[in-house]
Amino acid sequence: MKKIIFALALLIFSNSTTLLAFEGDKFGKPLTLTEPTKISAIEKSPLSFVGKKVLISGTVVEVCSTRGCWLDLASDTAFEKIQVKVTDGVIVFPLSARGRTAYVEGIVEELKLSKKEALDYGRHKAREKGISFDPTTVIGPQTIYRLRALGAVIEK
Amino acid sequence: MKWRKWNNIIHRDLGYLCFGLTIIYAISGVAVNHIDIWNPSYSIERIQSQLAKPVATEQLGRDTIFEILAELDETGLYKNSFRPDPQTLQIFVEGNTLTVNLTTGNVLQEKVTSRPVLHQMNFLHLNHPKKLWSWFADLYALFLGALAVTGLFVLRGKKGITGRGAWLTTTGILLPLLFLWLYF
Repeated sequence: MKKIIFALALLIFSNSTTLLAFEGDKFGKPLTLTEPTKISAIEKSPLSFVGKKVLISGTVVEVCSTRGCWLDLASDTAFEKIQVKVTDGVIVFPLSARGRTAYVEGIVEELKLSKKEALDYGRHKAREKGISFDPTTVIGPQTIYRLRALGAVIEK
Repeated sequence: MKWRKWNNIIHRDLGYLCFGLTIIYAISGVAVNHIDIWNPSYSIERIQSQLAKPVATEQLGRDTIFEILAELDETGLYKNSFRPDPQTLQIFVEGNTLTVNLTTGNVLQEKVTSRPVLHQMNFLHLNHPKKLWSWFADLYALFLGALAVTGLFVLRGKKGITGRGAWLTTTGILLPLLFLWLYF
């Protein structure tokens, strides 16, 4: 009997800690995964994650300032981050999310850009950030790995 | 004719009912139409500041961050920090993001404030609440359709749908078609 009570208590406790971990402002579909994948693991071998559904977490370090259609999450490795993209209007991330911890579930996708597309992409992002764009930073075609978000929880 | 009387009653009362939401959608519609050149929900103020001296990267801890904030008279609630590259430190406080160039001591502050009224209007217009609001907005769209149809039959005669109304209604249908022909 004691074992059953202990097992039940453990189950309730583990469920409650999982729920607690995802408390905050909710966006899009509810999160279904409970084990976060390290952003550094995706950045280390992105091809092995392309097309797979993952849950990632980190500090929100940038948010699209016009449409709230993307955000950048800080990686667990220094000086690295990953972009999280949503379909315009389906999920809108608020600017106030910057500096808060987010849990995002989605599909890892590969974005192959020609040099012209990379230049357009750079210009677009610079305009959204309100900064000037240096075209010499784009030296050729680019491949970007990002997360196509399905749902997110941003801690308050 | 009895049906016209009911048509006009429905048109009048739907007009009253839809007034509030139509004004919200009209104002927010103009605001979000120009989303490429401004943020319709938030006001973003960018300020360049300069620290008295560069920041030594090996000393970077919470104490240093709070010293930077104090030097810039930033009293907002500290949330977090991030190093996008070895020369840069981002500090997140409530309503402000500070990007510090550690080598030069140059700081870019981005102060974000919600646009009163407009933010709430956009919130509804862009259906951010989802849930029950989606159904309410669908109902409003139905009402707008009914308002348009009943509007055609409010007047009889030369100023009605068989006279001037026909020309104006045809123009109203042709204009979007013209833009489709031009841009689609």
